[in-house]
Amino acid sequence: MMVLQIFFGLVTGFLFGFILTKTGITKYPRVMGMLLLKDFKILKFMLTAVTSSLILFYLLGDINLLKVVPKNLDWGKLVGGLIFGTGMGILGYCPGTMMARIGEGKKEAILALFGMAFGIFLYALTIKPVKQLFLSGEINGDISILLGVNRWMIIIPAAIVFAGIIYFLNKKVSDNNQIF
Amino acid sequence: MDNSKEWHWFKGGILVSLLSVASYFIFAAIADRNYPFGITAGFGYLAAKFGNLIASLTENPVIKRYSEKPDAFIEFFLLIGLVISGYTASKLSATLTPENIPAVWIKYHGKNVIKRYFFVLTGSVFLGYGAALASGCTTGNILQGWAHLSLGSIVAGIAFFAAGIITARILYPNLGRQQ
Repeated sequence: MMVLQIFFGLVTGFLFGFILTKTGITKYPRVMGMLLLKDFKILKFMLTAVTSSLILFYLLGDINLLKVVPKNLDWGKLVGGLIFGTGMGILGYCPGTMMARIGEGKKEAILALFGMAFGIFLYALTIKPVKQLFLSGEINGDISILLGVNRWMIIIPAAIVFAGIIYFLNKKVSDNNQIF
Repeated sequence: MDNSKEWHWFKGGILVSLLSVASYFIFAAIADRNYPFGITAGFGYLAAKFGNLIASLTENPVIKRYSEKPDAFIEFFLLIGLVISGYTASKLSATLTPENIPAVWIKYHGKNVIKRYFFVLTGSVFLGYGAALASGCTTGNILQGWAHLSLGSIVAGIAFFAAGIITARILYPNLGRQQ
């Protein structure tokens, strides 16, 4: 079992990183360009993946091949999200691309690897007050249950919105803006 | 920035989506978890390795979770896979650039390495803390979480962008404003 876990970990990471690197998602100017609202290649990439996965997951869920379990909402998602976003802006890339960047020979990313692990360590040290403040009182993460409608009443409009954003951004902004 | 060798975003997006779906079945089979691959737990595994060296922390729920659950172990190797592919993919397309700090950073903030390292360290500690609190990073909460239409992930993802956009504008004020 352990050998299988190591093997699939390595293979999944390799394939994911290969796609990220080849598509240019790991580039500092692309990430900062997105946050400065000048370069939307990464956003289009993400929304394409999200839209495709959305439909695949729920179709496979409907024929009982898998079980879709949405993440619940608590204050940690908002507060943690704001902390994470600030970190992404300061650093200029996210945790997954950080690791691919180490492979690309960007040495500073090694420091970021330790910083990221240390951040989680700090989280462990502060878990008691954080749990009381932010992680109590979850709201069910399944929007269709919250609204009491069929799942596809949410999925289809969401897919249309995502596709619409991709289409609009692709028309308006070139992927080759030299903004820096 | 030479972009001529990059894959199209549509190709990359579809391939990542197929990998996500495949990884769901892998994690269900060997990690007893109903969720596709993420990244954060791999760093959590590292944090737990460190935490376990300190006797008073071995019963800490966060340290325990990341040292006991198999998904953290798998995602740790996923991180190693990412490093290997970063090397391989950039070598194959001859874009392997052994630089230290980003060229764009140097252009706008100077080549003081200590200054950049200070930002790298601060930024990455924020990333780690935020990802742990939001239970997922860009991969877990956007690539996977938005695809699940999870209310929690939608809030987390919007917070990623909101805070990231503000921070980027502070770091690059003139670029954010023009036209």
